[in-house]
Amino acid sequence: MAHFNKAFQFKTRSIIVLLTVFGFQLTAQNWDVPADKKAKNSYIKFDKTTASEGEGIYTKNCASCHGNPSKGNVLKSLKPTPPDLASSGTQKLTDGELFYILNTGRGLMPSFKDVLSESDRWKVIAYVRSFNKSYVQVLSNTDPTKSDKVKVTMVYNHETNTVRVQVVAKEQNTSLPLKDAEVLLFAKRYFGKLPIEKGLKTDESGVANFVYPKDLPGNKLGEVELLVKVNDEVYGEVESSTKLKIGIPTDKPGLTQQRAIWGVLAKAPYWIIALYLLGIATFGVFVLYLVKNLFDFWKKGQQ
Amino acid sequence: MLEQSTKDKITSDLLRSIRLTNSFKAWMAFLTLSLFVCLGAYVYQLNKGLVVTGLGDYVSWGMYISNFVFFVATSLIGMLISAVLGLSGQKWATPLARMAEIIALAFAAVAGLVIVSDMGRPDRLLNVFIHGRIQSPIVWDITVVTVYVLISTLFLYIPLIPDLKICHDKIEKLHPIARKAYKLLSLNYTGSHEQDLIIKKLTRAIAIFIIPVAFAIHTVTSWLFANTSRVGWDSTIFGPYFITGAFVSGTSAIVIAMYFFRTNYKLQEYITLEHFDKIGKLLVLVSLVYLYFNLNEYMVPGYKMKKFDARHINALFTGAHAFLFWSVQLGGLIIPIILLIFNKMRKPLPLLIIACCVFVGGWFKRYIIVVPTMEHPYLPIQNVPLNFKVYSPTLVEILITIAPMILVLLIVSTLAKIIPIVPIQETIEELEESHD
Repeated sequence: MAHFNKAFQFKTRSIIVLLTVFGFQLTAQNWDVPADKKAKNSYIKFDKTTASEGEGIYTKNCASCHGNPSKGNVLKSLKPTPPDLASSGTQKLTDGELFYILNTGRGLMPSFKDVLSESDRWKVIAYVRSFNKSYVQVLSNTDPTKSDKVKVTMVYNHETNTVRVQVVAKEQNTSLPLKDAEVLLFAKRYFGKLPIEKGLKTDESGVANFVYPKDLPGNKLGEVELLVKVNDEVYGEVESSTKLKIGIPTDKPGLTQQRAIWGVLAKAPYWIIALYLLGIATFGVFVLYLVKNLFDFWKKGQQ
Repeated sequence: MLEQSTKDKITSDLLRSIRLTNSFKAWMAFLTLSLFVCLGAYVYQLNKGLVVTGLGDYVSWGMYISNFVFFVATSLIGMLISAVLGLSGQKWATPLARMAEIIALAFAAVAGLVIVSDMGRPDRLLNVFIHGRIQSPIVWDITVVTVYVLISTLFLYIPLIPDLKICHDKIEKLHPIARKAYKLLSLNYTGSHEQDLIIKKLTRAIAIFIIPVAFAIHTVTSWLFANTSRVGWDSTIFGPYFITGAFVSGTSAIVIAMYFFRTNYKLQEYITLEHFDKIGKLLVLVSLVYLYFNLNEYMVPGYKMKKFDARHINALFTGAHAFLFWSVQLGGLIIPIILLIFNKMRKPLPLLIIACCVFVGGWFKRYIIVVPTMEHPYLPIQNVPLNFKVYSPTLVEILITIAPMILVLLIVSTLAKIIPIVPIQETIEELEESHD
């Protein structure tokens, strides 16, 4: 009981602290968006198509707290209460501010930078903007195809136990290493992805070295699928993945690969199939027995 | 040997009801009309979807599934009377056997339809057979209900063969087609000893076979609940709890049927006071067993009061469902048990009234098992509107719930008009045995 009380007190205290902080931030309404980020614009045109794509992403990622825009059904039990994104308070923010908020998150709102791709994040904003009739979009002059020129290579060094990520842009005949690009490294899991170290910045040769943990399980062959996300000011977002033999070989078939109660019909456990068929067969034999006897019965009456 | 005149009297007495009377026509017209009103409600639901019911994200199994459980439960009476009592040599139950089988067949056959009423898209029913997973109790349920309906039909039909022959021979004013049907269905029965032996053998075989099938049908129905991890359902005794509850509802159903057939068909000589007395005692017995299971089912979680269980138990004992819960336990179980201990209460009329209370209580008991649990999920949805959390059935839903009951009455009334409700051949045989 004492233990429970302590835990409870701790919880209450932390809630009070959190509430104070959030409450302050709420009244301050201050996201401190840097000027350059504030002026950022989308390279994706906000139209019906992108807005409806954004709606799908919004429903999965945002609606649980922000509700349906303009309907006012936000999750009121959260403090601070998440705003209805169709409200004037949200709509008066610039696209860059919305993008920044989506990228960084704050308090209870998580960052979506690693969850959604850049284009998906812009599509969410396209959806949010579709609730504002007077909104006029200013398109960014960034060329989204520029990122196609970026090549990412991943090499594992056994001695130093590091993954060396190199980011190079192929411009006509020259290879241009990207300096100061943000690089994030993930290992793919059953669900989602596991970040390896914190994000790094590339050096002048376009290289970032990640210390790789030795104890990560791989597949049967010990392969781990690594995913790199690069974010460069000029070239935009790039994703690349490679399978490397750097994990501990693990032979654990997936939950849906084995025969199990929860599987599809083709993955039903043998014992259930056997019992079920046995039951049906018993019934079938019994019916045959009855029919045969009734047939004898009928014949006897004919004689 | 029995005198021919006695045999003739029994035959004519028991065949007397097989003719169209004006009161029967009126009764059928009333039932058909009521059924049409209810079907109208169903057509409305079919057009608009399940939104016209009180069902929602929380309570998705409301009255319809309670109704289904009740129907499956009541259908177990065929197995109890004909198989269990028959095999254990309880001769007194012979005149009740056919009535029990008719009730069993009607309730089991209609139970399948009740499930369909809970489907928003009944046109997808076939998918259960095409894509069903045999790991799912729903597929087992569909399988055993189908098997039980087939077996119950045969259990009704095979001992009926000699009586069909009697119908063919002895009923005077009969439409030629009807006479032909009786002839066809009596499968060349001549009354020979050999044929009688086959009937006896097969009846006995079905009586044995139907016991595990009946246990399976209601145990699987209980697993639809017990195999999910939810408060109030997560119980290891749900199988026997459901089976014993089934005997209670079934026995009360047969009391009601006995009373009406006895008075309307003037069968006082065949369904006697002794039958009422004995079936009353049977009702006490099965009710006591069921009470014992109830005690276990509510005492154990009620003593521990685990976090989520407590919310459920409180809702039943003192909360929103308390009135219904205690009415069902007291009015549908405890008071009937106490009353039925007295001889006077096992006379036809008092027994009928008590059986009606038990029958209605039995229906609401299923409601108490199905609905409150669904109102108490482990992981409540955030910010749901109140009408999701509190289930209240709509008029459309109530009408659609009544429809299957009317259908059962239609089936029982029709069958009771085309076949003798008390077995003729077996009654004569038993009299002969007691004379010898």
